[in-house]
Amino acid sequence: MAKQISVGVVNHSRARLAVNFLGSMRLAVNLLVLLAIASIIGTVLNQQQPYQNYILKFGPFWFDVFRDLGLYNVYRTNWYLAIVGFLVLSTTTCLIRNTPRMLREMREPDTAIASAYEPQRMANSITLHSPLSMDHATQMVTAILRGRGYRPKTHESAADHCMTVVGRKGRYNRLGYILTHAAIIVFCAAALYNADIPVKLAMLVGSVRPENNFHIPLSGVSKAAWLPDNNPAYRGTVTVPEGQSTHVVYELVGDGYLVQKLPFHILVKRFHVAYYSTGMPKDFISNIVIYNNEGKVLKEGNVRVNHPLTYKGVQIFQASFVDGGSLLKMKRYMLNNPGADAIRQKARVGQSVDVSGTSYKLKLKNFSLDNVVPARAIEAKPVKGLKHVNLGPSFTYIAQSKSGSGAEFKTYMQPIARNGQSYFVQGVRTAFGAPYQYLFIPTGPNGNIGLFMKYLSALQDQVTASDGKNTRDYVLDTFKRVVADYAPSMTARAEALYFQSAISAILQLRAYPAPFIVTLTGFDHRWAAGLEVTKWPATIVIYWGCAVLVLGIFILFYLPQRRILVRLRTLSSGGTEVIIGGTSSRNPYEFTKEFEGFAVRFKNVLRSQDGKKEN
Amino acid sequence: MMASSHANELLALTKIEAEGRWTNRLSKLDWLWFAGLSISVGILVDVFNSQFWFWQYVVLAVWYVTLIAVGIHWRPMQGAFLTVVTAALLGVWLYSIGQTPANDIVLRYVLQGYAGVMWMVGFLLAATIAYLIYFFTLLEKVGRLATGLTWAGVLMGFIGLGVRWRETYIGHPSWGHVPVTNLWEVMVVFCACTSLFYLYYESRIKSRALGAFVMPLVAASAIFLLWLTFVQHMDRIAPIIPALQSFWMKLHVPMMFVAYANFTIASFVGLAYILGDRSRKRGGGGILARALPSGELMDDMMAKAIALGFLLFTIATILGAVWAAKAWGGFWSWDPKETWALIVWLNYAGFLHARTSKGLRGKQMAWWSFMSLWVVTFCFLGVNLFLSGLHSYGKL
Repeated sequence: MAKQISVGVVNHSRARLAVNFLGSMRLAVNLLVLLAIASIIGTVLNQQQPYQNYILKFGPFWFDVFRDLGLYNVYRTNWYLAIVGFLVLSTTTCLIRNTPRMLREMREPDTAIASAYEPQRMANSITLHSPLSMDHATQMVTAILRGRGYRPKTHESAADHCMTVVGRKGRYNRLGYILTHAAIIVFCAAALYNADIPVKLAMLVGSVRPENNFHIPLSGVSKAAWLPDNNPAYRGTVTVPEGQSTHVVYELVGDGYLVQKLPFHILVKRFHVAYYSTGMPKDFISNIVIYNNEGKVLKEGNVRVNHPLTYKGVQIFQASFVDGGSLLKMKRYMLNNPGADAIRQKARVGQSVDVSGTSYKLKLKNFSLDNVVPARAIEAKPVKGLKHVNLGPSFTYIAQSKSGSGAEFKTYMQPIARNGQSYFVQGVRTAFGAPYQYLFIPTGPNGNIGLFMKYLSALQDQVTASDGKNTRDYVLDTFKRVVADYAPSMTARAEALYFQSAISAILQLRAYPAPFIVTLTGFDHRWAAGLEVTKWPATIVIYWGCAVLVLGIFILFYLPQRRILVRLRTLSSGGTEVIIGGTSSRNPYEFTKEFEGFAVRFKNVLRSQDGKKEN
Repeated sequence: MMASSHANELLALTKIEAEGRWTNRLSKLDWLWFAGLSISVGILVDVFNSQFWFWQYVVLAVWYVTLIAVGIHWRPMQGAFLTVVTAALLGVWLYSIGQTPANDIVLRYVLQGYAGVMWMVGFLLAATIAYLIYFFTLLEKVGRLATGLTWAGVLMGFIGLGVRWRETYIGHPSWGHVPVTNLWEVMVVFCACTSLFYLYYESRIKSRALGAFVMPLVAASAIFLLWLTFVQHMDRIAPIIPALQSFWMKLHVPMMFVAYANFTIASFVGLAYILGDRSRKRGGGGILARALPSGELMDDMMAKAIALGFLLFTIATILGAVWAAKAWGGFWSWDPKETWALIVWLNYAGFLHARTSKGLRGKQMAWWSFMSLWVVTFCFLGVNLFLSGLHSYGKL
């Protein structure tokens, strides 16, 4: 493609040298490979992590070196963009330089080719002698070429009494070159436009400044961090609890953020997770309403993964979800005073509450509505056909005392049946990330651990009152008494099961890290949907760019330009000399085979007796 | 008298012209192929009219045109396509009348997705051995056997995939998906596609020697597949996460693998070229020089495979970007897999540019093509095994 460099230019001016350099194939190949190698860095090194991670990984010296090279965000460094820029510049140079010539060539009449080429000098060539007259042979040649789709044109040259037939196929092959290279340029331009250039420029001159404080309300964010709702392109995220609405999204920039105002409000009516029977999430769905400042509903619908909602060029995606502050109703049993009535308390996920009577604070971390686990994890012999069971709602919290001791708890709301006995189940871990140790406390006929607490209390009283007595006896006696008092309806079998479970629970409680047990009695569930909102007006340009690129590659590879040139001359000895030449812009090997087929056909039709002569 | 001779002449010319036309080179089978496909597509449109949306019509049209063109360009494709469709439909039908692998011998040992894949692995391993024997002995019989075994493997692989597609719905209709969602399934696609494209190139260049280069890699993939099956148990059908439930997945993933298949073939042809070139330079007495086709032919085949791979890779990457725009809200997130796809693309763009300029041909390009195998393999497997990111569903 660059073979026509500066033919006949004697004075190489500097500008011309630069153009030749930019348009050279060597530069293009080198830039492509260089860009490929540079791109590897960002895949090996995790990008855009907090700086502390990198310091830990590389040590202070290399951390500085890598930071200065921009390796923590390679694809936005100036040097990376410079390579891309150079590639675009090189592509543009090639395109501007070659397009006029290619267009000219495409439009060039075939007769011009007739005088410009010698068939003997073409990549494939053969000379035949036909007994037919020149006119007759010309007609035959034309028919053959037409049959193969070569659109033959004849051209008579009066000067040397010869006839030239020119056949051309794939005349528009060069269009493939123009389309592919133009597509790449359009592409990069559209990507830059989508990359929010105006905002980047505004940040550069300082009229827009990201806010660094993540703990202030929206009204407290400095005006310099706000972007207007007529911003041409943006991409931001926002977390909206169910039942609430937003008219902004947040764009993370470096270690701060910008507030992008939306041209409408988004109300999240409901968020919903659908599950497979294995407990794996099947779908995440936000039911949203879009309305304007006057409260008029503009659009309503579901946003699902892979199914965004579009309103006036703004697309809303389902990106993530968290608990939106569910209200939890809890009941607390004090282990140091198990006989006392349970204490009721209410709090929302995300809040920290004091535990009255202790130095502990409860931090409510999360709530999950469903907990689907393999059936085998619960029952030794699961019910046939039942592979997974839903253990129902659970919540996790961290209990921490003033002295610093604490643990994380995962508590299931519903009792879990196992081998005929129901249990209140709670996971406990004292180290973050460690697996939970599960505590199983049997639940009584009324479905809570009240009976167990009464028993525990009675035992504690007994221990103080009857030191030295037969331990086994009083443990059982006390149990019988507690059952008679609080759960007289229990059957003997249930009693036996309960007793066994209660004893093992008491043993388990020895290692329990907090002086109380919190159970969940009710909840008012509320999700928060994480939405991503984008506006990319150049999207359609990118799509068309892609289509043009593919079309261009196809033309370039599969519609090669092929030329057949036939020159016929009447021989003084009678008959006609037929010289056939052919070239192809691509796949010369394949064209040689096609040309051989042509040669055989010409020979047959022209009744030539020649052996094949190939140059 | 004059008039009649003129008429005869015109008739002769018309005949000459008509003989050259490409439609004249079509056989009766080609016309039947065209008619059969047209009718099938008509039926599909009639049945699914209410469920199809714009892009499904586009995809159907592309399939229709591609199948006609490919079937006419390479006739064995007609029989292969019919065999796969018929056998897969038979499997689906057996399931629909209530048969299961537990009570139906045909399903258990042949048509079940899992069984089909195991047959494929067996055939392809046997074919690799046959190709290696052929390479050293040049016995025509062994060569034919190798080709036949490869065909059997390809057919069983695609039949297995087809039936497995149906199997993903059985018992749990909401799990249903095209079998290209985990590493096991895509390895099946890779083995079958690479072998199929190898067969195509083999029939084009009329030489079986390159099978001894390409098929060992297919065999290695097949063994990896066995490891995935028996050690990792990845052959089990599982539901797919919400991000994968997309129309675009059906197009993006298989097309990527067709591209990978072509790149892989090109790289091993490159290796054959390098070795053949060396052997010929030393006098050409060795087995390599005797068995391998000419350097020019291999160079041409390599470039063709890369060109086709590049076209498909470009389309597949674009489809991936379209999908990403729907699922993640952005075309391009510089996720490791995306970046490696870009690296592969840039690498082959560089290759194709270098090849059009005159200086670079032959051995240098063969080396480039061969070394690209590592780039492609890293993009396909390495990223999932060693790096994290959004494409983490291909993990072990």
